[in-house]
Amino acid sequence: MTAVERHNYDVVVVGAGGAGLRAAIEARGQGLRTAVICKSLFGKAHTVMAEGGIAASMGNSNPHDNWQTHFRDTLRGGKFLNQWRMAELHAQEAPERVWELETWGALFDRTKDGRIAQRNFGGHEYARLAHVGDRTGLELIRTLQQRIVALQQEDFADAGDFEARLRVFQECTVTRVLKDGERVAGVFGYERESGRFFVIEAPAVVLATGGIGKSFKVTSNSWEYTGDGHALALLAGAPLINMEFVQFHPTGMVWPPSVKGILVTEGVRGDGGVLRNSDGKRFMFDYVPEVFKDKYATSEEEADGWYADPDTHRRPPELLPRDEVARAINSEVKAGRGSPHGGVFLDIASRLPAQEIQRRLPSMHHQFRELADVDITAEPMEVGPTCHYVMGGVDVDPDTAAAGGVPGLFAAGEVAGGMHGSNRLGGNSLSDLLVFGRRAGLHAARYAQALTASQRPAVADAQVDAAAAEALRPFSAEPAEGTDGAAPAAVGAAGGAAGGAAGGAAGGAAGGAGGAVAPPENPYTLHQELQQTMNDLVGIIRKEQEMEEALTRLADLRTRSRRAGVEGHRQFNPGWHLAIDLRNMLLVSECVARAALERTESRGGHTRDDHPQMDRRWRGVNLVCELASPPDQLAAQDPAAGQITLRRRDMPPIRADLLDLFEKDELRKYLTDEELGQ
Amino acid sequence: MSTATVDNNHSAALDAAESTDAHLITVTLRVRRYNPEVSDQASWVDYKLEMDPKERVLDALHKIKWEIDGTLTFRRSCAHGICGSDAMRINGRNRLACKTLLKDINPEKPITVEPIKGLAVLKDLVVDMEPFFQAYRDVMPFLITKGNEPTRERLQSSEDRERFDDTTKCILCAACTSSCPVFWNDGQYFGPAAIVNAHRFIFDSRDEAAEQRLEILNDRDGVWRCRTTFNCTDACPRGIEVTKAIQEVKRALITRRF
Repeated sequence: MTAVERHNYDVVVVGAGGAGLRAAIEARGQGLRTAVICKSLFGKAHTVMAEGGIAASMGNSNPHDNWQTHFRDTLRGGKFLNQWRMAELHAQEAPERVWELETWGALFDRTKDGRIAQRNFGGHEYARLAHVGDRTGLELIRTLQQRIVALQQEDFADAGDFEARLRVFQECTVTRVLKDGERVAGVFGYERESGRFFVIEAPAVVLATGGIGKSFKVTSNSWEYTGDGHALALLAGAPLINMEFVQFHPTGMVWPPSVKGILVTEGVRGDGGVLRNSDGKRFMFDYVPEVFKDKYATSEEEADGWYADPDTHRRPPELLPRDEVARAINSEVKAGRGSPHGGVFLDIASRLPAQEIQRRLPSMHHQFRELADVDITAEPMEVGPTCHYVMGGVDVDPDTAAAGGVPGLFAAGEVAGGMHGSNRLGGNSLSDLLVFGRRAGLHAARYAQALTASQRPAVADAQVDAAAAEALRPFSAEPAEGTDGAAPAAVGAAGGAAGGAAGGAAGGAAGGAGGAVAPPENPYTLHQELQQTMNDLVGIIRKEQEMEEALTRLADLRTRSRRAGVEGHRQFNPGWHLAIDLRNMLLVSECVARAALERTESRGGHTRDDHPQMDRRWRGVNLVCELASPPDQLAAQDPAAGQITLRRRDMPPIRADLLDLFEKDELRKYLTDEELGQ
Repeated sequence: MSTATVDNNHSAALDAAESTDAHLITVTLRVRRYNPEVSDQASWVDYKLEMDPKERVLDALHKIKWEIDGTLTFRRSCAHGICGSDAMRINGRNRLACKTLLKDINPEKPITVEPIKGLAVLKDLVVDMEPFFQAYRDVMPFLITKGNEPTRERLQSSEDRERFDDTTKCILCAACTSSCPVFWNDGQYFGPAAIVNAHRFIFDSRDEAAEQRLEILNDRDGVWRCRTTFNCTDACPRGIEVTKAIQEVKRALITRRF
């Protein structure tokens, strides 16, 4: 038996971004002993990168705003594929969560009369985003971190122990959710610093691990975003939904190469920035889709009038939902009207005085000056789409955030699916984190509380041993046997031809072994090939043959990843950590590719070149991904079989009073005649 | 531009642009390596790399890690200066590796990269941040108010909010604290970052515990240890006027006005 450190808690939260910290605060508030586990240092979560703001219909900037309008915008943005109950709860509870954050000390930009100011954003009918400059995510995380420090000091005063009820395990990675029969029993993980394994026994586990962006080459996501929670859920037996929907944020930096993908906040457009092609044309007027025609301006005069007088002007088309803008930029570049480095121009310099730009967008000003040598108060930025957010995630109960089929498992934030449908509106992610983070923490606590001591699940030693053996695999990577060594080399070289230097290097290394025993694969090389594959073949515009090719490459990568070997010891060994993360990225990438291949229409964050239209018959369908082979045979030898099975599931009909919030004419664009008849 | 081969996005064209290496330069990264499992002694190791001068020190470290030595260890997260994970000593000055372009630090000569000072090194460029975060926690970095919680937001004027705007920008990267000679000599000193975070609440019009925080900083390890060398202000990657904030706290201690 492997000797591992064991801890015992009531609720374990995996992830310490906005959703995880909010969940932990809630669970501890219910009086339960709560552990939070994060891969980075406490307070460094990816949430800090959110710039624009938190969407909440507080009505501070426009008194007409209310939750119904926010709900309506959210469904429009998600092309009606949203889990409507989640969208309803989100719109209703977001204001309370923002006010709560303010009472905990968060800094906000203010209106003249001292209330929280709200800014415009794509897809939101009213100025709705509570914000602080362009560092809202940082302030959100800092405030939750401060709150946790405050609670720990309260616990010290009460019990003489800062960590009596709330402990943060930082720089730790969870590799398995452990189970007792069908139920959650805890988690298995390792300390990144020492490489030591640990088990936390707990009846309730909240996944709050964020997204999957590191499976793509051009991404705004940070290194933690390796789909850990998505994979942990699958491995524990919980299904994922909507994995075909990946949001490409329209405006990432495209130059210089080292910072390609880093985000340029939508706030630039909300504050008046416009998109131009190489002819200097404001091209977004050409890309307003049929479903939004009556809501967006048709001339520059009308669009420009909207900033000062939104009640009598229609919105500028630069503020269409993100999927529309990303596709438009992609089309302009493809048509040869792009900027020198393959993007388009985002111009705020000619729209606002320099001083005003510096005041409203200080981080952007700083970011471009330091990283691209561009002064955004004097010249336009070059921007292009970057992988930003995954709408798909764990299939959860809308009210309780409980994962399907696995009692004791909960999920909140980006790792949960459904809330945003096929496309998320800007600003709806920070509010999502707070609303559903709180709900997940609350219901995880209630679930744990309801168990008597004898009902609590137990962690079997065999599970711990299996998890430890799996984690240690990269230190004893299998050599490729005999002639098998040649096959991956050939595929590696093919990948290299399409995918740049990374694939070529791997092919060369494997081939150089002369077909006898191939050396272990470099996990970094595998990762780069994975990113290139997803970027090129399952990216912003998709085609059937390319996705089939992607599945073939993923299968090959999965086989080769069995030989991902690492040097050195377990102490702070980043190569080892990546080798473990690869399992997760390969799992979620397969989900994305399989679901995207299956959905033969274009909707939100899923665009099919071979099926360019939105199809009302697909509107009420979720694609559900589940693990195909049992976890202990995860690294299946048979590449063709794959790890994921896919099934279609009808969504519950949208409640009548919520449908009544829309005009019949609009509903006709989304719902089938049959659905409208009911 | 031609996007004929892979026409589904523009990455092919960009990849082509990246692969022309005429603009690459050879840089030497001289990295302070330390692995207690191998040796008690840290040592300098040189890595010669072909890099674009517009790439960052973080890119160079990644290149080493991904292509030369997978055991090289450093912290990083968001990679563009918001999370504050990758503060390190580059050419003798504290900076964030993700915000330092090679062309700006004299790449003709070897570029030295070592861990920030004053905190125990765990491995390579990774230090023990616990004393740093302990000082942060000691200044009670959270809003303290009396009376009932409001049902909506508290009101705060733009002027009142502006008063402490600068110190809310802190990303807790420790670049300031680990550049402070007083902190190097005596790890008991709270250090600039903790004082910055106390300042953030002392000058917040909503907070009602400024007196308590001032008393904490009136301690022998508090603000009076500051020798106003301005190292912290120079080191701050967020451009916070750290020394000024410390001076404001000192003045508040004398005048009891904040």
